[in-house]
Amino acid sequence: MTDNPSTPDTISQEVFDRQEADGSALPLAADDRLDRHTRVDLLKQERAIAAKYQGGPMWGYVVAALGGFAVWLALFPLTMFGVVHPLITLVVSTFLTVAGYVTCHEAMHDNIAKRGSRYRWANQLVGEVSLLPIAVPFSMGRVTHLEHHKHCNHPEKDPDYTDEAPNWWMAWYKTWWNRQPRVDGTINRYKTVCMALDTRESRIALKQTMVVQLIYLATLFTMAWNGYAIAAAVCWWLPRQLGLSYIRYFLSWAPHHPREGQTERYVQANIFKSHVGHFLSMCMETHLIHHLHPGIPNHKTRAAYLEMKPILEKRGVDCSAL
Amino acid sequence: MAMQVAVEKLFAIMPFLFGIGFIAPLIAQSMAVWGWEAPSGMSPIMLGLLIGGSWGLYATIRGRWI
Repeated sequence: MTDNPSTPDTISQEVFDRQEADGSALPLAADDRLDRHTRVDLLKQERAIAAKYQGGPMWGYVVAALGGFAVWLALFPLTMFGVVHPLITLVVSTFLTVAGYVTCHEAMHDNIAKRGSRYRWANQLVGEVSLLPIAVPFSMGRVTHLEHHKHCNHPEKDPDYTDEAPNWWMAWYKTWWNRQPRVDGTINRYKTVCMALDTRESRIALKQTMVVQLIYLATLFTMAWNGYAIAAAVCWWLPRQLGLSYIRYFLSWAPHHPREGQTERYVQANIFKSHVGHFLSMCMETHLIHHLHPGIPNHKTRAAYLEMKPILEKRGVDCSAL
Repeated sequence: MAMQVAVEKLFAIMPFLFGIGFIAPLIAQSMAVWGWEAPSGMSPIMLGLLIGGSWGLYATIRGRWI
């Protein structure tokens, strides 16, 4: 589960190569007085730091994903038979739903185990089990999240652009609004993006989404009509609603606000100070590092940021928050 | 293809199905837990079906729950 730490992550490599091939200037956030030599040198320094933080043991994510999924599953019978109080179930299940996205997010970027690794199965397994609490298959999460990275903050091509809102309370409202049956947000937008992509992966994602959603709804209906409606509500339905809002707010709105026009490399995401702290905001305070180098595991982005900070400041990145 | 059309039709009326499949029994069971009586001698599940069914129908037609 330890991959070569010197291997650059594919997305930042792709961006770097494209810029080199185009012969265009490397995009800057603010300070465009830097000459090309300085910019390339800064990028090399940035990538050298990033390489130090990529890879490393990822067993913690595997244990967290499988353990969390097991606890989440166990809550169903434990709540149905009155062993665990519904309110405790609601809190624990919501936490596990949010935490599941964090572990799945690593799998989306192949950070648990790269393609070709003998532990590749673990990457797939973590991805598959982690997203079930939000009733979305790994395939859909992965396809759309990688599109988000490729077209970050593009109004039509970024599947997460619909989370944009003018302020924090509108952002929370939007997380709920985007889940309405015929509103073009979250899963509806994801389906549209997958249909437009029309690749083998996106077609599989659409089919699996349909299956997972049918299983989710059939489970709720069956439990409800057999006398376990409250258990179904606190195990899956409410945690999914609350968890999705929390995930959309901290993983999509807060690190990318404001989105309009912020498509260049160093302005795609922010460095910000969260009121609930680094851990409870899912390490999103340093989300820019994730967009620059997705191969850096989530728990290392803060340390990588602190080492990269002088370079980012020279790039014109606003690092005043942390 | 026929399967896909059938599933699309099913999802088109899913808010209504959700109303009678989940909201209705949730209302009835919540009333039982909190000891609430349904008005006009109605059974809790009848009240649940009335609220869940009409709310789900509204969401199906409008495309949003509120």
